[in-house]
Amino acid sequence: MGSRIGAFFFSDPRALRRFRKNRGATAGLALVVLVTLTAVVGPLLAPHSPEEQNLEELLHDNGLPIAPGENPAHPLGADTLGRDELSRLLHGGAVSMQVALFATALAVFIGLSIGIISGYFGGAVDMFAMRGVDILLSLPFLLIVIAIQRVVDRPELWTLFLLLGLLSWTTLARVTRAKTMQVRELEYVQAARALGMSRRRILLRHVLPNVMGPAIVIGTTLVAQMIIVESAMSFLGFGVQPPNASWGSMLREGQQYLSHAPRLVLYPGLLIMATVFGFNLLGEGLRDALDPKD
Amino acid sequence: MRSTRRIDRYGPLLAAGLGAAIIAYIAFFAPPEPQAPRWDGAGSTEPQHGGTFVFHHESVIRTFDPAIAYDELSSMGIRLLFDGLLDYDEETRLVPSLVEAMPTQSEDGKTFTFRLRRGVEFHCGGELTADDVLFTMERMLGPDTSSPGYVFYANITGVDEYRAGESAHIRGIRVVDDRTIEFALDEPDQTFLNAMAMPFAYPLPRSHYENPTVDVRTTACGTGPFTLDPDDWEHGVQAVFERNQNYWNAPLPYVDRMIYQENLTRDVATMRFRNGDLDAVHRFSPADYIFLRNAPAWQPYIDEHPKANLWGVGMNTQMAPFDNVHVRRAVAFVVDREAWKRQRSNRLMPTGQPLPRGFMGYREDLEGAHYTDLDRAREEMALAGHPVHRDGDRWVAEGLEDTEIEFWVGEGDTGRQYGEMAQADLAKIGLRISIKQVSFPVYLEESGKPGRVPLLLTGWNMDFPDPANFLDVLFNTSSISEQNSNNRTFYSNPIVDDLLDRARIEQDITARERMYVEAQELIVADAPWAFMWSDLTMEAWQPYVRGYHPSPVYSMDYRDLWLDLPKRRMQARHGTDLQPRHRLSGLLPFGGNL
Repeated sequence: MGSRIGAFFFSDPRALRRFRKNRGATAGLALVVLVTLTAVVGPLLAPHSPEEQNLEELLHDNGLPIAPGENPAHPLGADTLGRDELSRLLHGGAVSMQVALFATALAVFIGLSIGIISGYFGGAVDMFAMRGVDILLSLPFLLIVIAIQRVVDRPELWTLFLLLGLLSWTTLARVTRAKTMQVRELEYVQAARALGMSRRRILLRHVLPNVMGPAIVIGTTLVAQMIIVESAMSFLGFGVQPPNASWGSMLREGQQYLSHAPRLVLYPGLLIMATVFGFNLLGEGLRDALDPKD
Repeated sequence: MRSTRRIDRYGPLLAAGLGAAIIAYIAFFAPPEPQAPRWDGAGSTEPQHGGTFVFHHESVIRTFDPAIAYDELSSMGIRLLFDGLLDYDEETRLVPSLVEAMPTQSEDGKTFTFRLRRGVEFHCGGELTADDVLFTMERMLGPDTSSPGYVFYANITGVDEYRAGESAHIRGIRVVDDRTIEFALDEPDQTFLNAMAMPFAYPLPRSHYENPTVDVRTTACGTGPFTLDPDDWEHGVQAVFERNQNYWNAPLPYVDRMIYQENLTRDVATMRFRNGDLDAVHRFSPADYIFLRNAPAWQPYIDEHPKANLWGVGMNTQMAPFDNVHVRRAVAFVVDREAWKRQRSNRLMPTGQPLPRGFMGYREDLEGAHYTDLDRAREEMALAGHPVHRDGDRWVAEGLEDTEIEFWVGEGDTGRQYGEMAQADLAKIGLRISIKQVSFPVYLEESGKPGRVPLLLTGWNMDFPDPANFLDVLFNTSSISEQNSNNRTFYSNPIVDDLLDRARIEQDITARERMYVEAQELIVADAPWAFMWSDLTMEAWQPYVRGYHPSPVYSMDYRDLWLDLPKRRMQARHGTDLQPRHRLSGLLPFGGNL
């Protein structure tokens, strides 16, 4: 990790050392970097269009897709509609990662803002915000997402990530609020207030950097959750719309062929597993490094 | 400080190891799916009473009201609950059912007299009378019901006045006495008796269906071999039918209870069937189809036959851009029938005309029949004023660059696959479509109303073996109404209407056939559908299900079968029929044959 980035994330140099020594965390980081790279560069590397159907050449006479290796131009074979499996995996990964990252960014932004404001000002604002969190937490998450996606006339990718982002900031807000309440009472914050520093400056310069640690940790594990939710939604048919692919929708498309071509389910399944595993490892490692007391 | 707890240090490793172990277990040690039937019958040769028969459909049942229902799902239930005055035998000949004998016909062929069977009881009480038959017809043809069956009975004297609200009764139907009813027609009609055998005319008791407190969409009271308690129908899940103890045609039915499971996707249904939890299946994913078609142990319990039906892409002729005949023709020429056939494991029999093979009026070399020709499709787009040109890796139709058209298909993987294939095909002429997957009841409801559905995957199963059943229902203007239209493309051509109306009553077979050929030629030229295929259909049932023969007229007509009980576990004699392939072989390059 470059020292400048390191300095941003780890204001405490010991934290960086702790992180480096954690083997699980570095493995997680490697996985995450790999997957993120695939998601960004993958579509450019894809040898074919992910939508192009070649039902004549890439399906056997009996309608089953060709297996890996049967056609050198298609190293991972074809899917059920005669499309290049490798290209679909690469494009699908990009979609899954996009949704997960955007949704998480949105959730982190909302969660941080509400958490800091609620924790710093307290009183009625706090009451109001935290009851909102209670209500959101009491709703069955997946069901609500499905219900809303169903009502939306034509569910699209951006409605999905908006929904996921808007519904999953609650834990982060709670943790941030607790941390903010703690930071608010520290001497230097008190001093800054006494010196007449503006509220905005106090919040941005003194409170925010102090609550970033937990936010990063929760955000990282949130990405993993979002990938799973996106897969589940696409698996159920409420995520990306055909002919676009995501790993979740590829799982669904392959399930009918489980007995004859299990690879159609296994490839996206393994990728989802690896990605989620990577983000979770990274999150754990970051937590250990940034907040050893917890 | 580094975490010192062992679980923290080795946790990830442990998790990864556990995952690998589970995958390895599934791959190497989990029992393979059964390759042969698990249960056999007891071996009796005479029909037995008793037992429960479990069957299914992949969609949701809309209603069991015979006046409204006009789809495969509903009719599978309606055939258990109701009887017709007439029915079909295995050779598709009409035979008496609730009547004592075939109706007598007057010399001029315009009057039919039906004599009802004695002692037929309705499930909810009361004996079948001629008044019930009269009620059934007036209810079904009444302006409030908006029955899609109207077109078949339009020839009964006085129907139009009645439907328009100008008369309180249908003049042409006369109750002679309690058990005798007479129908007078405007013209001698070749299809009238077929129409009287259709579920629309299945007699309903006035007492039940006229009662305003009864919800006729969710209840059923007929004369059929089975009864349905509304509490036993959990909508969207299953309907349980009980044996009708007072059935007029004893000793039928043989089975005590029929369970109709709704909403089972194809792969789940086949999995349950192979496990012995379902007694019959009729729709398959390609993978399941290939398995059953090739598993030697299943062969005696499988029937595969061409079905008298028709499938295609329907285009709403009243909605842009399909109000332009050239756009419709372009679609008809662009859909790749052979590619679709291959994707469906060769279970589609491509066609390019409205009538299935073997029907009067079908012509192998019909003039203007649709076929797949990309150049021709693009020419038609140019004629339509939307010339197609290449833009990067896409084709764009001038004037339609920003138009996205909704393509309605059924739910499930099969619907989606058809949707995606159509999407890819239509993209070749620059038509951009989005796939709208809806449940079957919604599909029927919405596509039956004008101006709602621009483009749809649509099909038709035969009700009776006559061309009128396809051409009149699907393409006659009289099949259009505000709701429940069967002419779902809202196609209207006065010349076609005239030909069809005359052909239906034409007595001379040769002249009749000629008219149907002519009508077909006009319809394919107007291309309200891209005509695509008839099904090669397969059904499978358990070895202990006996006396079931797929009916040539009704889909999955299970009413007369019996169960050879008690079931016995199948002997291992089929154990070596199919060596389970190694589960991992499909994952490895070259199929694991390195």
